[in-house]
Amino acid sequence: MAAPLVLVVLAAVTVRAALFRSSLAAFVAERVEVVSPLNAWKRVVEGLALLDLGVSPYSGAIFHETPLIIYLFHFLIEYAELVFMVTDVLTAVALYLAIQDFNKVVFKKQKLLIELDKYAPDVAELIQTPMEMHYIPLKVALFYLLNPYSVMSCVAKSTCAINNSVIAFFILATIKGSAFLSAVFLALATYQSLYPLTLFAPALLYLLQRQFIPIKLKSKSFWLYTMQYASLYLCSLVVIICLSFFLLNSWDFIPSVYGFILSVPDLTPNIGLFWYFFAEMFEHFSLFFVCVFQINVFFYTIPLAIKLKEHPVFFMFVQIAIISIFKSYPTVGDVALYMAFLPVWSHLYRFLRNIFILSCVLIFCSFLFPVLWHLWIYAGSANSNFYYAITLTFNVGQILLISDYFYAFLRREYYLTHGLHLTRQDGTEAMLVLK
Amino acid sequence: FQDQAEQFFRSGHTNNWAVLVCTSRFWFNYRHVANTLSVYRSVKRLGIPDSHIVLMLADDMACNPRNPKPATVFSHKNMELNVYGDDVEVDYRSYEVTVENFLRVLTGRIPPSTPRSKRLLSDDRSNILIYMTGHGGNGFLKFQDSEEITNVELADAFEQMWQKRRYNELLFIIDTCQGASMYERFYSPNIMALASSQVGEDSLSHQPDLGIGVHLMDRYTFYVLEFLEEIHPASQTNMNDLFQVCPKSLCVSTPGHRTDLFQRDPQNVLITDFFGSVRKVEITAETVSLDRGLAGFESKFPEDELATEPLKYAEQLPVAQIIHQKPKQKDWHPPGGFILGLWALIIMVFFKTYGIKHMKHVF
Repeated sequence: MAAPLVLVVLAAVTVRAALFRSSLAAFVAERVEVVSPLNAWKRVVEGLALLDLGVSPYSGAIFHETPLIIYLFHFLIEYAELVFMVTDVLTAVALYLAIQDFNKVVFKKQKLLIELDKYAPDVAELIQTPMEMHYIPLKVALFYLLNPYSVMSCVAKSTCAINNSVIAFFILATIKGSAFLSAVFLALATYQSLYPLTLFAPALLYLLQRQFIPIKLKSKSFWLYTMQYASLYLCSLVVIICLSFFLLNSWDFIPSVYGFILSVPDLTPNIGLFWYFFAEMFEHFSLFFVCVFQINVFFYTIPLAIKLKEHPVFFMFVQIAIISIFKSYPTVGDVALYMAFLPVWSHLYRFLRNIFILSCVLIFCSFLFPVLWHLWIYAGSANSNFYYAITLTFNVGQILLISDYFYAFLRREYYLTHGLHLTRQDGTEAMLVLK
Repeated sequence: FQDQAEQFFRSGHTNNWAVLVCTSRFWFNYRHVANTLSVYRSVKRLGIPDSHIVLMLADDMACNPRNPKPATVFSHKNMELNVYGDDVEVDYRSYEVTVENFLRVLTGRIPPSTPRSKRLLSDDRSNILIYMTGHGGNGFLKFQDSEEITNVELADAFEQMWQKRRYNELLFIIDTCQGASMYERFYSPNIMALASSQVGEDSLSHQPDLGIGVHLMDRYTFYVLEFLEEIHPASQTNMNDLFQVCPKSLCVSTPGHRTDLFQRDPQNVLITDFFGSVRKVEITAETVSLDRGLAGFESKFPEDELATEPLKYAEQLPVAQIIHQKPKQKDWHPPGGFILGLWALIIMVFFKTYGIKHMKHVF
């Protein structure tokens, strides 16, 4: 499987290199859908320039990236394009290896459940076979590399690519079963943008499952392992934050990075939901609503953990999607990351109800974003409501996509254990409804 | 006789004037404004005060809506040198730069209401530098895209200046296409002329700047300015060096000069005679009594005073250093402790993951 992956990687690198040389690079680097105040390349360059002038890069509310990014780009600023291409390639390769391993796990688990007779007799067509799962890792890498969202994000040199890469390595480490590496990468991802904190739960569930520790609240081994993993994670996070202190000898990166992410002071329009609300909100409500909106991101973790405790990787996918929809400064690079996972659940296709409408909604909204931006900002014949409407539609489309996949997944699980042809008590045919 | 002969080798001027004219307007003629402003800067640096400079510009570059860096006019690419600044005094701006106003300035036939800053108040001991740039052709120079001045008119204006004793020596520099045609018709004495290209040749521009979007300077003026950067008020460089300034390899056009009307040998003409405002100072040890009997004063002047060497300025200021000053930017480097800590952590993670047995491959 290495050769097709190499071909895909070469094609992706060629596309990105060609686009770097074209005029698209300058155009896309300015688009608000692709870059946000957190990860714009212009701001990284500005921060490094401020540093060269002897001023802290965090003064002036321009630069909101972490000190490790300063360190990385201080030495690699001339090779920035190469760095971003390599990052994308690393993300794709990490996802490829992760999904390869995950497929093996799925297959093993499936075999176990078949042998234990946990499946109903007539579900043969729902069982995943190695034949159809063979190309899934390649498709995942392809989906990530050739997704126009990730191409644009790479050409705009948005540091979202680095965040995606760290999350991909975290997923790889988790699926391979190394708690230490997974904690380290999760700490790095949390350090860069706060929201991957919620990925702690699915990673923990997966590692517990791998160690065959049952998830019961009374069980001592469960708590022991949880404590170990949590302490690894927190210790790495603390070490990384302390190390960043030593880069600039000041703590002012904490309000600039985390304070900025949490308090959302910059209301530049983006594809998220925060900007419009806070642009029109009264001052004395803004604290309350900021808290509400931020809790919204973290809120789905516990219920999803309860529902999806046997399927932690799907939980991880849903969680990543929720982060990229509800985070304070989303960009299309975040969307590209969870879309890369869609081939893994391609066996759910027959249960998806709205996939045609949703894909149309997402594609049309992606095209309408620049149009309505132009109408609002340049032509002056629209206003922010138009752009917000498209943002809203895009996010509703994403949410419906995720909930559709969630529904399909649960439906398949139900069919697996209860059989494809459901009958009621009196023998008539029954329909499965998600309540 | 010795003194008379010496007189021929030294300039007899007592004050310096400069008339700097940019005859173009519109954004794409940025380079002409930058040319003129750069010469203005050099001339000011070498000592001619604003009161002795008549600067005629269209002045529509700095505040042009197409200027990505408002309130600036750059003369080097990468925006190294802002020649506009906040102390530039433009005497004739925008639509006042016309052929009529230029000729009135030169000849002095100005309405009495004209303010002092717009007059060329030169006398017969003035050395005048006249610099013109813009778009020109064979025998004419275009003013602001609507009219032109011919070389005959210019020669006649200089003759009027000579007859009215409005100059001691004149240096005429022109940086346009076919510039040499403009000085072909001069017939007044004590005029030296330089042009950036011969008849039939075009003067080319030097550097486009991708940030601003236009060409920033013309080649001839660029190399003249590079030459002038080395000049400081005490320098002894002469006109022959200025004639060599832009060879065809650098300028693509062939610069020309005309010295037949000039009475001194260009070898003996200092650059600072025209570009700077260098006063001749003679130090005397005698006291001079200023009383009523001044009529016979000149005859008391001892003759041998005039034969002394003109005194040079002492190197009071490190002029060469000040001219070329630009603060050296110190680059930031991450502290060593940070780098050490980070890589130590990375190596620890690596060995923790892949086992301690790989350590022996390192050592």
